[in-house]
Amino acid sequence: MSAPPDAEPVLRARGLSVRRGRTEVLRDVDLDLRRGEVTAVLGPNGAGKSTLLAALAGLLAPAAGELECRGRLASAGQAAALARRSVRANVELALAWWGVPRAARRGRAERALTALGAGSLAGRRATALSGGEARRVHLARVLAVEPDVMLLDEPFAGLDPSVRSELLYAVADVLRDPRRATCIVLHDRAEAWALADRVLVLLDGRVAATGPPAEVLERPPSREVARFLGFEGELAGPDGTLMLRPGQVALDPAGPLAARVGRRILVEEGVRLELELDAGTLACLAALPGPEVGTAVRVRATGGVHFPAHRGAPPE
Amino acid sequence: MTFIWDGVKQAFELLFEGNGDVYGVLGVTLHIAIGATFLALLVGLPLGLACGLGRFRGRRVALGLLNAGLGLPPVVVGLIVALFLFRGAPLGGLELIYTVNGVILAQALLAFPIVGAFTATAVAAVPRPLFDQARALGASRPQLAALALREARVGVIGATIAAFGSALSEVGAVVLVGGNIHGRTQTLATAVLAEVSAGEYGTAIAFGVLLLGLVAICGGALTVFQYAGEGRERGGGFPLPGWRAS
Repeated sequence: MSAPPDAEPVLRARGLSVRRGRTEVLRDVDLDLRRGEVTAVLGPNGAGKSTLLAALAGLLAPAAGELECRGRLASAGQAAALARRSVRANVELALAWWGVPRAARRGRAERALTALGAGSLAGRRATALSGGEARRVHLARVLAVEPDVMLLDEPFAGLDPSVRSELLYAVADVLRDPRRATCIVLHDRAEAWALADRVLVLLDGRVAATGPPAEVLERPPSREVARFLGFEGELAGPDGTLMLRPGQVALDPAGPLAARVGRRILVEEGVRLELELDAGTLACLAALPGPEVGTAVRVRATGGVHFPAHRGAPPE
Repeated sequence: MTFIWDGVKQAFELLFEGNGDVYGVLGVTLHIAIGATFLALLVGLPLGLACGLGRFRGRRVALGLLNAGLGLPPVVVGLIVALFLFRGAPLGGLELIYTVNGVILAQALLAFPIVGAFTATAVAAVPRPLFDQARALGASRPQLAALALREARVGVIGATIAAFGSALSEVGAVVLVGGNIHGRTQTLATAVLAEVSAGEYGTAIAFGVLLLGLVAICGGALTVFQYAGEGRERGGGFPLPGWRAS
């Protein structure tokens, strides 16, 4: 459920810059968060994602820019730090901090825990929870307070893949709420595609791309963003560079491109090949056993994104 | 050994024969220890919370002063307090010299750094993200303080035990400020000193045994309270210092 594009943002940042010591870690960020919309912030380590969230939450003072929030804002940090009491008491404590009357706390706490699949944990000691369970309770605290803006900083960090995907499904169902704007910092692109209506790619403290996930993935605005989004192959041509994801490259004896296998790495799906061509390098996945290093192969490339030689943006 | 055993027997006789003097000294001892611990908590807890939770300029200096306060020589503190409380001295008008309240004041001065320093250590050991999360969800300062005290309760109660033990067992400041007046400001610890000075070793041992019993009972009771509901959980605490005697 995405917000209509003309909906009034509940949180608006303009020209936001944040310094940590003498280093400017966030520069000139514009961002609108609208009710009913989930915005994912993506970027490599050190790009300024958590700093952006801390600044939006008011935990870090901006060095420049404007920040306007029309409502109450709640954030969940990366660490699922819980008090040494029961799970239910932890959520009720969050509601007390938020100013919810005592009589309403129990019901809201249990509803939030149930929504995140943690209803059965209500009576357990928080210190006896597994990492995934603690993360559910951590998110339930923020969900229970029913904020106008919800900020989540890498809610799946540090979890093993099976717990991660379970929690992802649980969160995907509850994140979209027409009453609430959500901004979620993620490290994994696939999670962003699953959860978000909009993505914002941060590179080196600046907004490098923003838009609906499919649009940003199909038409990354620069080579840097394309590389970050998994366009690992680069073929140079007279009119620019073609960048391709591994899924867009396939071994094909009748393919138009000649290549040599430079490296092979066994992966879950088969074998990942790094291919050397006269015009550049490509990566692709192949079924086992796959060609050995040094083997000459033919490949076919489908799709990809083309960047003209004279500028960074792809053609219209 | 016979000498000590006789002292133990005498202690029980003094207790169970309803000796009014002994109960009087016991009462004064508890009065001073409870009063001094209460005052020490009143001053030491906010200081410990501020140093453990806060990020203000001068925090390290404050922590350093609190830690230095752990080694305050009771005799010197007693002397300074007495010099301020003597008639004609700046605080002489309060008429606290040679009174129980004067002794409570001196003992509180010795005990508040214990509460402050150990509370700061215990609160600083609570995971910082918990406080960040509480702030992010709108917790007020009193709510943060309550959260910190509850999360660090093992350490905070440990600090209280240490302060109470110090107030029970201390001698130097009690003698200098209270005058060790039998029936008024004499405590079990200073009674031991008085009996030894009078050559009454048996009675001194008896008072000593009573003092040890009181320390064990009060310390034990507070320890039970300290770990109530903790189950197998531990943490937020610190190695308890020994009972300080001087």
